[in-house]
Amino acid sequence: MSGYRPGLFAIFAAAAVAVFLLMPLLAIVPVSFTHTRYLAMPQGQLSLRHYRELIDNPDWLNSALLSLRVGLVSSAVATILATAFGLGIWMFRPRLAALLVGFVLLPMVVPPVVSAMTLYFLLTTLSGFNDIVGYDSWLGVALAHVVMIAPFAVVLVLVALSQLDRRIDLAARGMGASVAQRAFRVILPNIKFGILTAALLSFVLSWEEIGVTLFITSVNAVTLPRLIWMGLHDNIDPAIAAVSVLLITVTILVLLTRLLIQGRRPIAWSSRARHRRQLSARRDQAEG
Amino acid sequence: MRRVRGQLASGPRLLLLAPLLLFLAGAYGIPFLGVVRWSFTQPEPGIGQYVKLVGDPLVLSVFLRTFRICAAVTVCATAGAYAIAYLWVRGTPLQRGVTELCILIPFWISVLTRAFGWLALLSNRGLLNSWLEGIGVIADPLPLVHNEFGVIVGMTHFLIPFAVFPIASAMRSLDERVLLAARGLGARRLRIFWTIFVPMTAAGIIGAALIVFVFSLGFFVTPAILGGGRSVMVAELVYLRMFQSIDWGLGAAISVVLVLIVGLLLALLFRFVRPASLAR
Amino acid sequence: MKSHQDHARQQEDCLHILSEKLARGEISRRRFAQLAALLLAGAPLAFRSGSAAADSGQLVLVNWGGDAIKAYDAAYGKPFQQETGIVVKEDGSGPTEGAMAAQVKSGKPTWDLVDADPFSAMSLGKQGMIEPIDYSIVDKNKMRPGFGWDYAASTYFFSYVIAYDSKKFGDQAPTGMADFFDVKKFPGKRSLYKWGSAMWEAALLGDGVAADKLYPLDLQRAHDKIKAFKDNIVSFWGGGAESQSVLMDGDASMALVWSTRAMLMEQDSDGQIKFVWNQGLISPGALAVIKNNPGGKQNAMKFIASAQAPQRQLVIFNMLGQGPANPATDALIPADKKQYNCVDPANMSKQIALNMDWYSENYGKALDDYTKVISA
Repeated sequence: MSGYRPGLFAIFAAAAVAVFLLMPLLAIVPVSFTHTRYLAMPQGQLSLRHYRELIDNPDWLNSALLSLRVGLVSSAVATILATAFGLGIWMFRPRLAALLVGFVLLPMVVPPVVSAMTLYFLLTTLSGFNDIVGYDSWLGVALAHVVMIAPFAVVLVLVALSQLDRRIDLAARGMGASVAQRAFRVILPNIKFGILTAALLSFVLSWEEIGVTLFITSVNAVTLPRLIWMGLHDNIDPAIAAVSVLLITVTILVLLTRLLIQGRRPIAWSSRARHRRQLSARRDQAEG
Repeated sequence: MRRVRGQLASGPRLLLLAPLLLFLAGAYGIPFLGVVRWSFTQPEPGIGQYVKLVGDPLVLSVFLRTFRICAAVTVCATAGAYAIAYLWVRGTPLQRGVTELCILIPFWISVLTRAFGWLALLSNRGLLNSWLEGIGVIADPLPLVHNEFGVIVGMTHFLIPFAVFPIASAMRSLDERVLLAARGLGARRLRIFWTIFVPMTAAGIIGAALIVFVFSLGFFVTPAILGGGRSVMVAELVYLRMFQSIDWGLGAAISVVLVLIVGLLLALLFRFVRPASLAR
Repeated sequence: MKSHQDHARQQEDCLHILSEKLARGEISRRRFAQLAALLLAGAPLAFRSGSAAADSGQLVLVNWGGDAIKAYDAAYGKPFQQETGIVVKEDGSGPTEGAMAAQVKSGKPTWDLVDADPFSAMSLGKQGMIEPIDYSIVDKNKMRPGFGWDYAASTYFFSYVIAYDSKKFGDQAPTGMADFFDVKKFPGKRSLYKWGSAMWEAALLGDGVAADKLYPLDLQRAHDKIKAFKDNIVSFWGGGAESQSVLMDGDASMALVWSTRAMLMEQDSDGQIKFVWNQGLISPGALAVIKNNPGGKQNAMKFIASAQAPQRQLVIFNMLGQGPANPATDALIPADKKQYNCVDPANMSKQIALNMDWYSENYGKALDDYTKVISA
């Protein structure tokens, strides 16, 4: 009796999806080793030239670092703003909640090209006043990314909040807790996972963002997707496959390391689950 | 009582709600109004662009195709995400570790790389067709790409990891004891799943469907590469209008109509859903 | 108190002297860069406010990315920088008509030079968004007759040609558009260009219209032909890489592709994918200057003039396969490569040039109708 585990059918379904998710790697990994200068499966000959290109050409590393900077800043800002907003909606339930949420989701709904134009004019206007946050600057890109990402973060935070039992907030209020205490001591700790996923999703969205980024950058703030897309009209450099393989390898190493560190100890998702496990372990012992 | 509470709480309420609202209003809302204005002023003042929109058969067919494809993608991606999220949240440590890997890996493949990867897998001389021909299942290659099927496959693949997060978030806060209690009472797995598990994670499903559907409306790269240039979707149509023919008024009008349609769908959604999830 | 023009002229003189010193080897490249930077940075802010960033020492050239970035940098950018000290930065985001219009409408364009379709430059120029070419700096005599426009300077040529999978057809090669549209003689699927250009001409030629009677294009006839043929078209490619993969993956046995891409395909496929010049459609490429460009009109024109040098156009031909705009370059191309030059007299005679005037009037509407036909 070790908790409610997925049955055979569920495992099979999940496995099918997992295979589907990994399928493009069947093409991408071999392609990254092709000896040709264009995207093709290596017919016999393998080559590391595209990996070497990543090291030799400084543009790749610079773009990756820029994307990292932009991603960290924009995901942090977006998550904080979205969390505050989500808390406001959940705690106070303002009358116009649906309208406010609808407004916040606007950047997500509008076609990316129009968002791109909108943000382009915003940033060029800002460039008229200052040199730091504007067109073709990394802070300008971060600003635009926050705008595009915030709606997604809001949805995730709202989902997390919707799972919360209001009674703990009511209890805290009844005991005289202030808004700040309710937020920081009661509510936020219980939606930790939700906020974390919002932050992670925000980072990935910023990392991948191309529609708007293509428009608001030129030669200075070249993010990784921008660099990859420079060749869209013409040739697709297999180096992009090499980039993906490298990033995936890093991810795998990080996750494996984490699994090994957590090792024999079962991964405790929450203190309540750990407590439950301890209880059932003791019960097992008693039953013999 | 409520009024008093409202007054007392107005300070903190503003502090929480205002930052995001002000930021978006300033950085997006106001410039966007400028774009909306184009739909009424370019090339001439009036509602001419909207009239043109309604009468243009291409626009109508593009809208229909877009909604059809996005609906299909939403269903597939949400279902797929649900299956894998279930294992990620509720499985054994080994299952959790493996699924986590599978969910996170696709994020690092840029959308362009992915699209060409699917092209390599699905084209006539691609891996899938070669394998099927090799084992004798088919004689001629199947047309899996350069059509809507390829587009749906590519888009679903991209969106499943995004849909996983809201679903996992909802699944995680589900109290396991409810499921155990149901089992203790003699219910079979399938029954527990449909009558308890799914309804209790409904908020996650809806959040995922929302993200996927709205996100997919904005896709134009994947459909362009995998659709054979024939499945023009609304995002690409707006791009064409704004960049190839510089018809900014029409591009803006299409965007406004899209926002209105999605807004309507969301309003309908919240009508049915809000009582259950947001105001618990 | 020196006037702004004196100051600018003095700067130019100093830069000139410096570059001569560099050429003579009297100073190192590093020293040159340092001194040049000091010179340019030394301009007091008061002078800057006048004519934007005329002495900013930078030009942003926007083209379509990919191999073109390295090629333009090697052929034009670096030599120009050596001569004048002005850095040329490449932006590969693709100067579509709408993007150019957005640049101008923002009031603060950041693009200087654009590798634009001549007809786009023409229609934007008429709206006051493109700087007219200064033919006192740019030499019209270094261009082929008929290809120097008011708002765009001819810089290269490429063609839309028939590329085919020779493995499928053995020794038989298509001889023109009629063969392209004949699936009985040449079985298999076809692939066409998504953005319409040259496809109308191809359809009309395939329908039997004589080459000299093409313009003005009978769009109705062209679209009817394409509509009737649609079942045989596997895809409409939007970019070079797509046109290559559709042929090399075997999804199409024939496609209308850019000659520059066809040349690369022939090399990449070890001769399996071949192409013919018959009834190819020559398309001119050109450089245009955005109105009120940040780097200054003068410098932009100087750059265009410098790009007319035959030696530099030869580098572009070697790296990209684009036909040179300057007829003097033809003689420099080695005999074994002449077959790839779309404007080589031998190849040009088999082809038809696209009419830029027609495109500047009709492209937008034609593309709309074309998109309707292919997406239905």
